[in-house]
Amino acid sequence: MDSYFDILSALILLSSFLLVSHKRIKSYIKTFRIQSALIALTAGIMGIDSLIREGSFDILIVCVIIVLLKVIYIPRLLYRTYGTVEYKVEKDFYLNIPLLILICCGLVVFAYFSVSNIGSLDGAHLNLQVVNSFSVILIGFFFMISRKKAIGQMIGFLVIENGIFVTAFFSTHGMPFVVDIGIFIDMITAILIMGVMVTRINEKFESINLDKLKNLKG
Amino acid sequence: MSFFTADLISGLISNFIQFLLILLLAPLSGGIIKKVKALSQKRKGAPVLQMYFDLWKLIRKESVVSDTASWIFKATPYIVFAATAAAAFMVPVTTLVPSAISGDLLLLIYLLALGRFFMCLSALDTGSTFGGMGASREAMISALIEPSLLVSIFTVGLISGTTAVDQMMNTMKAVGVPLLHPVYILCFFAMIIIILAETSRIPVDDPATHLELTMVHEAMILEYSGRQLALMEYSAAIKQLIFLTLLVNLFLPTDQLVSLAGISGAGAAIPAVVIAAALALYILKIILASLVIAITEISTVKFRFFSIPNLAALSFILAFLGFLQYFVLGR
Repeated sequence: MDSYFDILSALILLSSFLLVSHKRIKSYIKTFRIQSALIALTAGIMGIDSLIREGSFDILIVCVIIVLLKVIYIPRLLYRTYGTVEYKVEKDFYLNIPLLILICCGLVVFAYFSVSNIGSLDGAHLNLQVVNSFSVILIGFFFMISRKKAIGQMIGFLVIENGIFVTAFFSTHGMPFVVDIGIFIDMITAILIMGVMVTRINEKFESINLDKLKNLKG
Repeated sequence: MSFFTADLISGLISNFIQFLLILLLAPLSGGIIKKVKALSQKRKGAPVLQMYFDLWKLIRKESVVSDTASWIFKATPYIVFAATAAAAFMVPVTTLVPSAISGDLLLLIYLLALGRFFMCLSALDTGSTFGGMGASREAMISALIEPSLLVSIFTVGLISGTTAVDQMMNTMKAVGVPLLHPVYILCFFAMIIIILAETSRIPVDDPATHLELTMVHEAMILEYSGRQLALMEYSAAIKQLIFLTLLVNLFLPTDQLVSLAGISGAGAAIPAVVIAAALALYILKIILASLVIAITEISTVKFRFFSIPNLAALSFILAFLGFLQYFVLGR
């Protein structure tokens, strides 16, 4: 069982690297969808495990919510927001992609050195899973500050959320159900508000490039 | 005289047979890839064995050499072929038979690099613009892809404690299904990107084009004709098969299945049926790997040349993450 979670955590980390290496907003959304599907798979495996062992449906319900919310609804919402804004081919990032990827690599090394010293984490498998998922959080932060456009930053926010969820999931093997539901409600509110904001920014400034918010509008 | 024991001689013979097998099968994998691509475009396509016919035709033709070319141009096909064949000698097709000479993976990589170096020199030698352009591009691609190749090889080597090819394959055989392990699956993906770049396949270089803007490998061998061209193309095919063999034998080992079903510890005498089954599985794996490459070629477009660093960075990261996972997880 642990080796499956090892692979899934490695693949989730890999998907966040793929996200950093993409140039276009549509590929961000697609990669976010893949990452969420991997997380749903993790939750599904863990849910079936807990159903067999303890007979509780909690994690399976969380898995279904992830599929509905993060694999289907939020990507569709993002595509719709992207459809309403004016399309312009612009460079979306400050540094070039190989440099971005290498910095993310440094973040993973940092995560390894900071997480592996936590005493309460014992066992190589748990250590690996927590290192991988903690790196996803850091990469999410980095993705957020490395992109100029609003939709890229929304995706960064979602990746941070994914990372936090996965970290909690791997280290506790299922949080209390109420906490999970609370997180999901918070996230969907944030995404709805951000979607409206992006549309408004686009109306005011004719671009979703957040650099242009510095310009004064008379 | 005691150096030439019966073990050594039988090992040498099995090495030689495996070497001949690689030489024989080499043009086949390219043929399969071309056939699958043709079928996907609703064309009938050339027969799978077309490359054998081409090589046979080219070998009987005389080669035309430019007046301005120096000895490097004439010597290069032989150097490239010799280096590639020496590399092919080190790759065991099956690990069931103990080999007398266990090649080192680093030597293998740098033998192939020697061939590439002379290929670049000969492309510059005739002074044609295409050759120079192809050589500079090839040098850039190989410099970009080399770190990830070495890191992924070293990760596997670190786990098995050696860089000898057959011992690494034995270690992976003991792992069972390496693709269910976070270290190996990352190295596997890195290796696929490396193969696409090293054997000039589509996201990096288009093997079927002669458009001056895009060709890399083709631009380097553009000046060759006749027997020399045959040697160059044959070396490219052997190189591709070497990489595919490394991929399938390191990351998809099947020899343990055969030996479990067949002898299970019968000692020295291995029945011919078991070896035949291992070889059949090997050929099946090669066909599978060729299909994977063909599907990648169908479903992607060639990258802009300046996007190749992104791909190389991704493959380096895959290999490095694999290394890091090993570091975190331990054995």
